[in-house]
Parts: sequence; structure tokens; C-alpha cells
Amino acid sequence: MKDKSVLVIGGGVAGMQASFDLAEAGIKLCLVERTPSIGGRMAQLDKTFPTNDCAICILAPKMMDCYRHENIEVLTLSEVIAIEGDIGSFKVKICEKPRFVDAEKCTGCGDCARVCPMGIKSKFDMDLRVRSGANVPFMQAVPLIYSLDRDKCMRCGLCESVCGKDAIRFNQKPGIVERDVSAIIVAIGFDPLDPSGLTEYGYRRYDNVITALEFERLICAAGPTGGRVIRKDGSEVKRIAWIQCVGARDTRDNRPYCSSVCCMYATKEAILTKEHYPEAETFILYTDLRCFGKGFQEYVNRAEGDYGVEYIRGKPGEIREKEDKNLEIFYSPTSDKVEKLEVDMVVLSTALIPSEGVEKLAEILGTELDEYNFFKLKDPYNPTETTRTGIFVAGYCQAPRDIPECIAHGSAAASRAMEVVLGGSYDRIT
Amino acid sequence: MTESLRIGVFICHCGTNIGGVVDVPVVAEYASTLKNVVHAECNLYTCSSDGLECIKSAIQEYELNRVVVASCTPRTHEPLFRATCEGAGLNSYLFEFVNIRDQCSWVHMHEPELATEKAKDLVRMGVAKAALLEPLEELSSDVIPSAVVIGAGISGMTAALSIAKNGFYVHLIEKEREMGGLLSRLYKLYPTEELVDDFLEQRIKTVGGHERVELHLSTSIKNITGYVGQFKVILDENGAEKSIDCGVIIVATGAKELEPEGLYEYDGKRVITQLQLEEKLRRDALNVDGIKNVVMIQCAGARGEVVRYCSKICCMNAIKNAKLIKEANPDINVFIAHNELQAYGEEYELYYRAAKKAGVRFLRFPREKRPKVRTSDGKLIVDVFHDRMQMNIPLDADLVVLSVPLVQNPDAESLSKLLKVPLGQDRFFFEAHVKLRPVDFATDGIFLCGTAQGPKDIEESISQGYAAASRATIPLAKGYVRSAAITSSVDEAKCVGCGICESVCPYGAIAVVETEEGRRARVTGVKCKGCGTCGSSCIKKAIEMHHFTDEQLIAQERAAFVIEAVVSG
Amino acid sequence: MEKISDVINRTKAYYCVDCGKCTSACPLSRFGDYSPDGLVERALLGLPVQPDLRVWSCLTCNRCKEACTYGVEYPEFIRGIRSLASKEKETGVCAHGELFSLMTLFTFTHEREQERLKWVSEDLKVSDKGDVLYFTGCLPYFDIVFRDLGVNTVEIARSTVRILNKLGISPVVMNNEVCCGHDLFWNGDVETFKELAARNIKNIKDTGAKKVIFSCPEGYRTFKLDYPEFFDFDFEVVHISEFLSEQLEEGKLELRKIYKKVTYHDSCRLGRHLGIYDAPRKVIAEITGDFVEIASNKENSLCCGTSGWTNCDGISEEIRRERLKEGIDTGAKIMVTSCPKCLIHFKCHMSNRKGEYDIEIVPFENLVARAMELEGINEG
Repeated sequence: MKDKSVLVIGGGVAGMQASFDLAEAGIKLCLVERTPSIGGRMAQLDKTFPTNDCAICILAPKMMDCYRHENIEVLTLSEVIAIEGDIGSFKVKICEKPRFVDAEKCTGCGDCARVCPMGIKSKFDMDLRVRSGANVPFMQAVPLIYSLDRDKCMRCGLCESVCGKDAIRFNQKPGIVERDVSAIIVAIGFDPLDPSGLTEYGYRRYDNVITALEFERLICAAGPTGGRVIRKDGSEVKRIAWIQCVGARDTRDNRPYCSSVCCMYATKEAILTKEHYPEAETFILYTDLRCFGKGFQEYVNRAEGDYGVEYIRGKPGEIREKEDKNLEIFYSPTSDKVEKLEVDMVVLSTALIPSEGVEKLAEILGTELDEYNFFKLKDPYNPTETTRTGIFVAGYCQAPRDIPECIAHGSAAASRAMEVVLGGSYDRIT
Repeated sequence: MTESLRIGVFICHCGTNIGGVVDVPVVAEYASTLKNVVHAECNLYTCSSDGLECIKSAIQEYELNRVVVASCTPRTHEPLFRATCEGAGLNSYLFEFVNIRDQCSWVHMHEPELATEKAKDLVRMGVAKAALLEPLEELSSDVIPSAVVIGAGISGMTAALSIAKNGFYVHLIEKEREMGGLLSRLYKLYPTEELVDDFLEQRIKTVGGHERVELHLSTSIKNITGYVGQFKVILDENGAEKSIDCGVIIVATGAKELEPEGLYEYDGKRVITQLQLEEKLRRDALNVDGIKNVVMIQCAGARGEVVRYCSKICCMNAIKNAKLIKEANPDINVFIAHNELQAYGEEYELYYRAAKKAGVRFLRFPREKRPKVRTSDGKLIVDVFHDRMQMNIPLDADLVVLSVPLVQNPDAESLSKLLKVPLGQDRFFFEAHVKLRPVDFATDGIFLCGTAQGPKDIEESISQGYAAASRATIPLAKGYVRSAAITSSVDEAKCVGCGICESVCPYGAIAVVETEEGRRARVTGVKCKGCGTCGSSCIKKAIEMHHFTDEQLIAQERAAFVIEAVVSG
Repeated sequence: MEKISDVINRTKAYYCVDCGKCTSACPLSRFGDYSPDGLVERALLGLPVQPDLRVWSCLTCNRCKEACTYGVEYPEFIRGIRSLASKEKETGVCAHGELFSLMTLFTFTHEREQERLKWVSEDLKVSDKGDVLYFTGCLPYFDIVFRDLGVNTVEIARSTVRILNKLGISPVVMNNEVCCGHDLFWNGDVETFKELAARNIKNIKDTGAKKVIFSCPEGYRTFKLDYPEFFDFDFEVVHISEFLSEQLEEGKLELRKIYKKVTYHDSCRLGRHLGIYDAPRKVIAEITGDFVEIASNKENSLCCGTSGWTNCDGISEEIRRERLKEGIDTGAKIMVTSCPKCLIHFKCHMSNRKGEYDIEIVPFENLVARAMELEGINEG
């Protein structure tokens, strides 16, 4: 039974934690990740609340541990395409997309990137940076194996000519691998909402309205601007406002739920702004400040007291752009007035929604999604069981939760998978 | 050192990452002139499979007994090179890593000549230390294949059952006469509104009935000794002393409700807590005849009043009770006076909306102007300052319910001392890392789940119960634990038993014990993480860190400046 | 009889979290002492919401409803409050000396038959019975009352018929048309509104019409959303802009280019109430090569400042000023509107401030008629 392995879909914090626990307990598993590197959303963050730890610094060792573990087979740029069978004996088909680079030979030196003439927008950097067509998603990527952008590659051969390891493979084809597993854990995380449809906020129409994840990349020292928060005209911010609940707690688009982490990440981003620009003024416009976790209230107190972040209760009804590209935010703090707040940049704390492709994956897995596309639980008090026996779920794709909750949830899913593999347990709940 | 030193140095180009700035062949050439170096080479990518082969074959060919690799960062590659040495028959602690990328070529990329000189300096320092390295063994210790779970509330029960299902024996310890914890005093759960009794009954039966779960009710903990894999727990079970050996311990001792003495005219009769309300609802003892208006006050005693934190669950709990009362008695007015309403996540926001639809009314007050309860003509009135309308709303109240926070149990202090695990500023147990290790303690082998770690709802308590079970199953399933060889060691001749090291150790790995020569500090290797705090605190310089001895570090420092002494020829 | 709690439940006002988004989007709150959520909060807490003159100031422009992310239907809420208030014989201040509320009633209480069709000039082809009916609404009345403003609302009717004629349609126009009831409905008099509705529906059915075309968004909204709540009928209702957009797609519309910079003002009823933003734009884009969007457009459009002729005051003028200034800021010489009320209110504002606004307000139908080279347009 111990030789029976597990499939983990998704290499973010929840997936990695589940994988690591299983591997340490002696269980072999296959970790499938859609992008070229594991790490997930946490790798995109600058720092994490409420400790203000550098995100990649605490994440990278976990990524390495996962990748190097003898019991974990990591397949990146791969997706699950079919599943058959039942708990204890699933047969899984995985498609490995081509990197156009021989993964065995590539050492991650980056010489190909330096010569490639094509530029592509970096998804990791929220389209704020142009990367070489031969790239890794970020410098601490695991595995540190380059790939060529399939759509933009001109096959000019420059990369091939400089690669010291002869690792370029223009004719690489997708490969199908099959795995037999006893249990499956889904941990595919979330996507940030694109708020272009919320026209009252002017995203993509106004020069200086950005989303929170875009801000994260700006403020990150390893990001596209080296940690400078700059407007479209290149000037550094002096007054910046965060707007909470953009697209969340919103019945208009059927997203009445709360994304759980935005109040805290806005607080963090405001604190980081003050650290980079002590003279800057920071405002957070919110409806209900969600500060329920361990250390959260204290973190908010610090933001207010030590850093001078100003919290304003009032959801803005409109943002207008001035001629100098500053923004005027209309909000109403008390029912007797409407105020105008002028700032030079607005950050939209957008809803975090189930990942693109979740519907297709759920269909492949034979699991149900709820009406908002989060994975449905068989029973609300069994937090990792999906509606299909033997398939467990971990992390944000089941419900909005923060990093420690995702990690605990990942371990929880691992324990259920352990029950199947170690204990031969096929019953449901308790 | 009896054998002659034969050091091999491998300088990596790392493609152009290092090679594009540092003149790697020159550094390798230089390395070959250093004392004790019998072989120096450069590789394009030392970490690649042929680079590793070079190291292995060089170890054989040149009979190397120390290896220095000058390349990128130990953070990502040290384990790889150590494993390579081990694979070639060389103890992995006879390997030294020199970072000439992050600390050299990357930060000095516009000064190649100076970068090359610095690389030479760094290599010289690495070689000086390598010369003094000693082989080290990782300690291995057996793990007793059973667990002790302290607390049979919902998270403890969940953890216990999961571990049992994984094939290990579990002792479930509970100080009360029955399982269920705080949950057993509640009426219904949110958001499903199922009866707690139904919910618990099934679970208690399954947990208690499992063949590998041994239940110890009315039991308290007297003492705990040992370390991961080898704990000894002494119990007082109903008056009788019992000793249990186990491999792992899980703390699931739960929390209790704050008693709001002196707050909001609390009297336990007309002004009560949510838990008291639930107990009334459970027993169908809420006399609704005299009640026209119910007012609930959130954050009573929390968020800066008595405790600093937000207790996470009080808003949803109040909403649940309010909704239940309103739906059962549509003519009663139910108000919830709140500040920041914590209806987070997917389900809770929806449940909040359902409560609003059912007719529960909400008023938001500012944090600096909390509601006041007063009596007028023998009637209770709650003055709520409405934040948005900026006016006082006096609410008649026949019943006032205070939503108070969860606080730590009073016996947590003594348990924390027995286990040598910390409590945080908010007095809840303090986990290893707030972000990345929510259910681990810094001390290996001891885990944490449920409200003992901090306020949380039932779903999260269950999730953490499973999580702790997963973490605990790792050593149990492995059957052994290995400690890294980089630990501290005490020279008992120099030690005076002052105890400073014990007081600063974050892992409880060093303790002053009685020996024949008197009180001396002793290290439990398996617990030690090699952080060096004890070593640097020892006033008698009696503690050395393996692999980072004073001698090794001083040699490294000196090599930075004193060149002649180390260069041969 | 409906109580305030019924109004709350019907309009989901209980979902309000008093975040203030509605208030910050509300044109009235911007310039005066008004707060949509303030009123809702008072109602939820059982505090009195009447008598309060401000209840009658709401423009029912739907900016609050569009903004609200919790599902509160504020305009319907205010309508419910007004219903309750009018039962207590409270009303708002009706502009123009209550002329228009009288007119509404006049159209159907008076025994004498109306002579509504005098505006139908010789060159227009109309019918008594047929498949397509043009609902004229109050255009002829406004024409008389506001002649000094140069609104010429009757030209809108004529242009509409001319356009339909050019497309081969001889629309039915009814002499016994009565007021659609929009203002009564929004000012809380649901009973009288229902009587008007019944009358209209019967009269339209009598003509055999299958499709009813509107040039007035208020009439259109009333027939499309409000009539079906109380009555069944099976004729289709459509706005002239939707109809023309369809014709354009089918290649049946020939439009000459007018080389002027044009912007478009979305009226509340056609826009936010009915969600029709693209149809008029498609047609206008065909006509002018130089269409420029006004800053607050589509669902963010600003109101023309007065609704239902009630509580028109200094704040209404501020609202109009802001909107006209936005129009001028686009650099356009023409601001097209599809609503005759908007036309009247803007022109009224501009007439008191001669020379201040260098922009022409042109009704959509007139613009199209011009582009179709239909003769005889008299815009005065």
C-alpha cells in the first residue's frame, strides 16, 4: 500500500505543503504544475502579512525541498487531461507541454535569454515587464529550466548557437505520461479578477489605476521597476489609495462572497509604500475591515499608529481622472457628505476568483463546483473532500483563505490521502 | 588532524553568471597555489550532472578528503553537493561552499577585476576553513509509533482519528469527563444550522470506537519529558498515575470564553454572553415571552478592550444566534451592533446576507465609541452611536448579548512549561512560523491545532486537526528521525552550569542537568537546530558549534587578511 | 396595504451595509443634503422616513442601483416610500405649478375627445390600424409649454414618422393615446397609473398593432418594465434607436455623413434602466466620423437633473451644469440625446445662461432624419 502514490495538481503553497507531507511520510507522488515553475501566487508577492517576511525568501527553500525530494516527481508546464478509475486506483493522463529545451541538459545559466530577440510580456510580472522569448518565469524558478515562448519564437537559432549545453530543441513535442495513483489532491489556487468591466473605477482607461497584484510587482525589489512605485509618466507616488472589495461582495456579477485576504494585503502594501516612501500618504477605502486572523488586528494597529496609514470607511462610487492624470475618488464617509479624495495612484484590491480552466478540470476530475466555481465539498465539515471519493482539495480553490490557512489545508488534504495510502481507508468522514 | 589534507577546489563559471564577470580560470589557477590544495579545476556548470561527475571522479583520482565548491548559493545547492560527496564516499560535512555569485559576480558586475580579486579572497577563506573541517554524523533516533493528543475537542478528535486511520496508536487525553470540548456546549452550527448534538454524536462514536484510539477521560497531565520520537507523558487518570511513551504529541487544548466582568453591565441574567445564550437555546430555556428586543454587542472585550485581537468567530456566531431567534420569533426585533463585521470568505458573506433577509438589523459603531448599556426606569437601553448617520441610536433591550472573544485556558501556562513550548503575546500557543508552519511548534515532534493556537471556527479547527495529524504522521511513518549534524556541543570541563544557554534556546534542545561533576549543560542532538544562539551566549566559551567552530571561523577571518601564512610555495 | 417593512422586503433594502457607495455616486448627494443609504438605514432601524421633502428629490436615475454591490433596489425603494407618503397626502414640489400632473390626468379624465394629432403634417404618412404603432407620448404638449426654449419636441415625432416612412412603414398614431403614466408611477400614485396603463393597452390592442415604437425612453421603460407587472399584452415594444440599429445591420438604412464632432448623452431610462447603450451609438457612429465619448458615459452617465417634474431646484441646475460642462469638455459641437425630457431640461438651463454653453443639444431622431436627408425638419 505504501508504494501506491498520489497525484497533486497545483504547485502553489497548498499543493507543495501537501506534497511535502506525503513525501516525508514515505509516500511517492507526482506534482503537476501548469506553469513552468512551482511556487504559485506567493512567489509573486513582495512580502507577506502580518510578519512582513520576504515572500520568495521563505518560499524558495520550500520549493527546493519539494523539487529535490526523492519521493516527489515534479512535472511543470503540464496539465492533467484525463482520469479514470476510483479511489485506490486512479489512472491519470498528464500532458507535458514542450519547453523546446531539453530539461535534462539545461543548467539555467540564462545565456539563451540574453540573445533572444523576441520580447514577451511577463505574466509573472502582470504584464508590466517584457521578458526575453527564452525565459524562466522568475529568477528563483524551480526548476530553473528555461523555455522558449511557443507563439513568439522565430526559430532564429541564436539561442541554439550560444547554448553551452546544446539544450535547445525546436522540435520538441508535447508528451503524454500516465500515472497510477490512489488519491488525488487538487490545489489550483486562484486568479485575480480583471476589473476592466467595473467601469466606475477606470481600470485600463485611466493612466494610474492598477490592481493590487500589479502593485506587488512594482514594490518588489526584484520586480520590473526595482521596487519603485511609479506612475505611467515615470514619477514616483506621493499619495496613493487602495480601494477594497473591487468585484468582491458584489452581486452585480454574481460574486457576493468576500475574498478574505484583501484587507490585509492592502494594509501590507500601504506599509511597504511607507517604508519605501516615508513621506507618501496612504489611504485605504474599505467597507468592513477583515482583520480576523492571528496578528491581524495588531498589524492594522501598527499600520495606523506607526506608519500613519489612513483607513477611511466608505466605498467609492466613482473615480475621475484629472488632466494631470491624478485621480479624484468620490466617497461618502458619513451620510451627510460626499468627499473627494485626490491621489496620484489608485490600487484596486480586486476579488480573487477561481482559476481559469477550473471548469474544464472539474469536468475531467468528475468533481462538482459550486455556483461560484469553487470546489464543492461533500460535507461542509470535512474541509478537504470533494464530491468524488478519493479526490481531495486544498487551498484557495476550495474557498478564500490566506497562506497559513492554505498550508494547514494542504496538510489536511495530505492526511486524508495518507489515510487512503497508509491506512487503506476508503470510508467517508469521521 | 592525523591524515594529510588533500583539498579539491571546484570553481564554477555558471555560464556567464559568474564567468562573465569573474575570471574563473585565474581564480582556479590561484586556488591551486593555496596550502593543502592538491587539485583545482573550473567547471562550466558544477551543478550539472557532468559537473557533479567531475567532483566524484576527482575525489577518487586525487584521493581528496576535503572539497570546496565556489559557485552560487548554499541555500539552493548545498544539499546537492553534500549528497555528491557522500555518494563518492566522502563525509558530506567535509564539504565547504563558497558563494562567488550572489556575493561576488552579481553585486560587482561592473568591476570585473575587483570581483576576480574578491573571488580569490573568498576561495582562500573557504579553503582555510575547509582545512579545519571534521567529519560529522547525523544522529538517528527511533520513533515510538504512537501519538498523544492532548484535548478531545473537535480538533483533537479529528487529529486522533486521522492518525489512527493511518495505522498508529493514539492516546486521546481529556481533562473533562466527556469528549467534545467547547463545541458540546453550543446549540447549532453555522452556516448549516445543524444541531451540535447530532454533529458531535457521530464523531464521538467513531473516534472513541476506533480500535487504535485509547481514550483517557478525566485525565490531566503531570509531566512530560523526552524529545521527538521518545516522549514520556505522565498522566493523572482519575486519581491514578499512568505513564505513556509516544513518538509525537499534539496540543489541542482549546480555548474558553472571556468573562466580561464589569463590562456593559454584564450580570449573567439580562446581559449575557453568546455562550450563555446558546446554552439557553440548547435547553429551550430562552423565555421569549417577555422579550421584544434583543441587542447583541460585538467586540465586547476584544480589539483593544481587554484583549487586543479580533476573535474571528464572534460575528458569525452572533449572526447565527440572531438569525435563529428571529426566524423562530418573527415579532422580536434583533439588532447586532458591530464595528468591523467579520463575515469573511465564501459561505459567511452569504450567511450574513441570509440573516439580513430574515430581518436581523445591523448597526455599525466606530471603534472609539463603543455601545453603552444603561438602565432607565428599570429598563435596559443600549446606546449605539451610528457611525454612518453620526447619531446616537438608543435601543430598548429586553436581552443584551455580549459577543466576547475566546481566550486561552488558564492551564495552558503549565502545559507550555511542561512541553517547553511558547505562548504568544495573546497567550495562545505560538507556532513555529506564523505563515509557513501554522500547526508545528519550533520543537520537533510537538504539534498544535484548534483554538489553542488562536480563535477559529469549527471548519478551520477540523482542518488544523487533519493538518496536525499529517505533520505528526511523518515521523511516525518514517519510524526514525535524523538530526542534522550541525549541532552544538558542550565542553563540560569549561561549563559552569549557569543556564544562560538553556534560557535562550528556542528549541528546548540544551538543558542544565546534574552530573557527577555538578551542574552541566547537555545538548539533545536530535532537538538541536544548530542556530548558534547558545554558542554565542555562553560566557565561558564552553559551547562550540559543529561545523562552525571558533577555530574554523577564526581561520576563515584570518585568511581574509593574512595571505602569506596560507599560500604555499 | 403595503407597510414600510413590505417596501424593505420587496426592494431588498435589508441588504444595505451602509458602505456609502450609492451616496457617493448620487448626483443629489454630490451637491446637496441627500443620502440614499441614509434613508434606507433610517427605515431599517424603524426611524421615521416621512414626512421628508427629500423623499421627492430622488431622480430615480439608477446611479445608486448601478453602483450598489449588495443588491439594494433603491429607486424602487424610494417609489415605495412615495406611495406610502402619497397616501398621507404628502407630495413633492411639482414644477411649473403642477401643470404636468394635471395634464397627465387631463388626458383621460376629460370626457371630450382629444385632438392630439394636429402635429401630423401633410408629408407624413400615418394609419389608424396596422402592425407598427408609434407611441407619441407627451411631445405635443411639451412643444406648446416650452416653445420659448426652442425645444420643438414635436419635430422629434415628425422626424420619427419621416424615418419610418422612408423605411416603408406607415405607423399607426392614436388620437386616444393617454399619458404612459411614468411620472405618476414614480411619484407614488400607482392606482391612477394603472388606470392609464389599462387605457393605453386597450387602445393599442384595438389598432391591431404588433410592434410599438417609442421615441421617449420614459414611455418605453414604462411599457417595457412597469406595465407587465400589472397587465398582460402581447405587442412588442422597442425604442427607435434599437429599431434603427437593427435596420442598419440588415443594410436597410442609408445615412449621409455629417462632419461634425458629436457626443452622446445616455439618458437614465434608456441607459441604466434598460441597458441600451450600443444601439444609438451604432447609428450615430454611421452618421459622424468624429464621435467622441463624454467622460461619464454609458452606465456612468450623469442625469439631466430633474425627474417627474418634482423638486426641480438649484441642485438640479448644478447637476445640469456639470453634465453640460462635460459635454463641452469633449470638444463636440453637438450633444445628441435620445430623451425629450433631457432635451428640455438642458435647454432650460442653457436658456437662462445665454452664451455660456457653446454646444447644441440635438434629439437623436432629428439627427437621423437629417442624415437620411428627410426634408422639412424645423428645429426652430
